Amino acid sequence: MEQFVNALFNGLSLSSIILLTSLGLAITFGQMRVINMAHGEFVMVGAYMTYVVQNIVAVVVPPSMQGIYYILAIPVAFFTTFLLGSIMERFIISRLYGREIDSLLATWGISLILQQAARSIFGTQGVNVTVPSFLEGGITINGCTFSLNRIFIILLVLMCLLGMYLIMYRSGFGKQMRAVVQNRSMAQCMGINSRKVDNITFAIGSGMAGIAGCSVALLGSIDSTVGQSYIVNSFMAIVLGGVGKLAGTVLGSSIIGFSGIFAEQYTSATIAKAIVLLIVIVFLQKRPQGLFIVKSRSLDE
Amino acid sequence: MLKILNLDSCYGESKVIRNLSLDIMEGEIVSLIGRNGVGKSTTLKSIMGLVKTPKGSILMKDKELIKMPVYERVKQGIGYVPQGRDIFPQMTVEENIELGLQPLGGKGKIPDYLYDLFPKLSQYAKRKGGDLSGGQQQQLAIARALVADPQILILDEPTEGIQPSIIADIGEAVQKINKWKKITVLLVEQYLDFVLKNSSYLYVMEKGEIVFQGKTAEADPVHVQKLMTD
Repeated sequence: MEQFVNALFNGLSLSSIILLTSLGLAITFGQMRVINMAHGEFVMVGAYMTYVVQNIVAVVVPPSMQGIYYILAIPVAFFTTFLLGSIMERFIISRLYGREIDSLLATWGISLILQQAARSIFGTQGVNVTVPSFLEGGITINGCTFSLNRIFIILLVLMCLLGMYLIMYRSGFGKQMRAVVQNRSMAQCMGINSRKVDNITFAIGSGMAGIAGCSVALLGSIDSTVGQSYIVNSFMAIVLGGVGKLAGTVLGSSIIGFSGIFAEQYTSATIAKAIVLLIVIVFLQKRPQGLFIVKSRSLDE
Repeated sequence: MLKILNLDSCYGESKVIRNLSLDIMEGEIVSLIGRNGVGKSTTLKSIMGLVKTPKGSILMKDKELIKMPVYERVKQGIGYVPQGRDIFPQMTVEENIELGLQPLGGKGKIPDYLYDLFPKLSQYAKRKGGDLSGGQQQQLAIARALVADPQILILDEPTEGIQPSIIADIGEAVQKINKWKKITVLLVEQYLDFVLKNSSYLYVMEKGEIVFQGKTAEADPVHVQKLMTD
């Protein structure tokens, strides 16, 4: 039973991390149809920003209060990657809309540049952040220990999910964003500056990757390839859930996270990865459009 | 109100409109008619900035639109209902109409007269636009174009693929909009009876050029029909 509960918690934890890295992709890939191969590197930038903020806070703030670095790192990581995403969209992606292969190659090139830049600035060896004191340890219930930093990541994901929902479905900008996604030229005919909306949308998606980077920093060593290890799962989660649907991304991330952990529990890490991939392939054979399909009378016509 | 002078429009290298001039007088319901493919919809798209216009001028109350981006043209007081309606299928009816408030900065509320004009839209306010019938979608597209109180309403084939009873409702709505709100209407149509019943001035288009113009009341329907079928 203990083993099962632990696997359940680990599955929830992995799902939440996949979801956090997927949320940004749900916008850039799901809404804008841009296959951003540099999304994993935005996660890396977010992780490195956490490291940088930690080092700055270590100099400026007394040792007893240094845990606050992590709270500061979240908005710093968000705005850094938001800005990077905005610049990238303005100068590269915007010239490649409708040219998927070209944008895929261009963003892959950017990912290589960002990885090399990270190696040049921070070195080839991985760096680590100290888990803030308020996230050290864990809660033990009936012999099962739930680590605080993983609980924090789950809460962070829930907050990001709520934020995304509010932006997309409860804000004026979200309405503009959805209009541009559904029908660009008609959105312009409504008086919406679609270029501006594209830029901010892409920047928000990139900013979410930055926040994901903050959570990844808590879990292990940060190096130039840290984002790569999450990005494949994230793309799978988006496709599995149904491109363009937020609820689909949540469910897709959960399926991949839980099945990965449970498969690992009874087999090995390598076999578990193969099983997850197999589940995705079999599922997409049966439902190529994913779990959540966008349906409407006008789209069916 | 809206003047088009010596306009050329093209899709890529292919020129669809040549040296077109139109004058849409304030307060009128003006129809632009002609056969399929003569350039009627392209004329409207040119006004909106959705196609290339290498030569000519489009003036809205003497303000040049030709170099303006699409979203700025709308702010000059133009409401546009495209062919095929192009409502946002995944948004609710209410959200679709609210999108029309963008020229006012997305602020303001939906005026009651729109729901008086199209009562079904009030009933289906929370339904997704894509779930409405063709006629209801057309009404939604018109309401969306009207919500920001435009000075001119541009309608591209509003009767296309719609059942006769709804066509009559749309004609009535166009008349009311023109009378109640003093909104000028530019209407592209192929359905001659609808045009003769609902517009005050006619332009007939052929191969990208105007071949006839005059007051609807003074036009000979047989002659106009002949121009449209020859």
